[in-house]
Amino acid sequence: MEEVKNDSGQNLGIAALITAIITFVLSVIPCVGLIAIIPGIIAIVLASVGLSQAARNNSPRGILVAGLIIAIIASLISFSQVFVAGKLAHKANKWPGDIQNIVNDVQDNVVKQLEDANISIKIESNGDKVEINSNSSKKDKEQTLEELEKGNNPSNDTIPKKK
Amino acid sequence: MRNWKREIILLMTLSLRKNNSGREYGIRFKNEPYLIINIILAGIILLIVLYSRIFSPEKNNYPVVCIHEKLTGEPCASCGLSHSFSLILRGRIKEAYQWNIYGMRVFLFFISQLFMRIIFSWIFIKNPGIHKQLILFDISGSLIIFLMAFIPFIVFIFKWL
Repeated sequence: MEEVKNDSGQNLGIAALITAIITFVLSVIPCVGLIAIIPGIIAIVLASVGLSQAARNNSPRGILVAGLIIAIIASLISFSQVFVAGKLAHKANKWPGDIQNIVNDVQDNVVKQLEDANISIKIESNGDKVEINSNSSKKDKEQTLEELEKGNNPSNDTIPKKK
Repeated sequence: MRNWKREIILLMTLSLRKNNSGREYGIRFKNEPYLIINIILAGIILLIVLYSRIFSPEKNNYPVVCIHEKLTGEPCASCGLSHSFSLILRGRIKEAYQWNIYGMRVFLFFISQLFMRIIFSWIFIKNPGIHKQLILFDISGSLIIFLMAFIPFIVFIFKWL
């Protein structure tokens, strides 16, 4: 009995092969090599689906296999560029430096905001209030402190001794 | 009067024949993946040429940026390729070499591929007996031209691996 052959998966094969060729060309260009992994994966998926269709219907698989092989090679080249970028960055001492700069910037911003901010501390106990404002002058602060030390402040902040 | 009628009949039969051959070509195109792939690849190369023509180096309005440079801060071997293509299309070859020394060979690869797609498709249609040999010749030829054009980039990648 003669085997019946049809062109199932042929269109997918064409799409996979074209995508794989484009991926292959893109993957060797360092500027866009990293993003070539996206069409690479698309080509692998297309070729795989096409191959499964072709296997079911006993149709030719030449283009599909070619597309799959080219896509895998291109994706590997594209993926290898991650390591190339990493090594280049390591050599240029760029990434750790960037992180350090970000940390320093955040620290500076926090310190600056704290310096600029109007901070006031309020202490309330038994209806008595003590307020220390960061904007108040040094003299005022000293006076408040003296008052607190002398006990002029009516509030009693001593801890009662246990008998 | 008779001659005039005969001429019309002759023209009509000729046009019918032409239509039939066009239909035959159409059917052949549908059944031959090689021709479809060639047409699509030629279209993509034309789009690359159009991209280089539309975006100008003066305005510096290229949408594609170097990811490598963005990540590492170091320029790569293919930086300035878009500028180089645009300048080649505008006939400013010296400036194109300044932007990217490999720009010309990559540009020539794309142009050679454009012509190869057209010529190989034409040979494919005209000579049905040599399809396998033609495809093999096309693949090997394209691979050699590809390696000649892209070898500096391949060396750049594998140097850091």
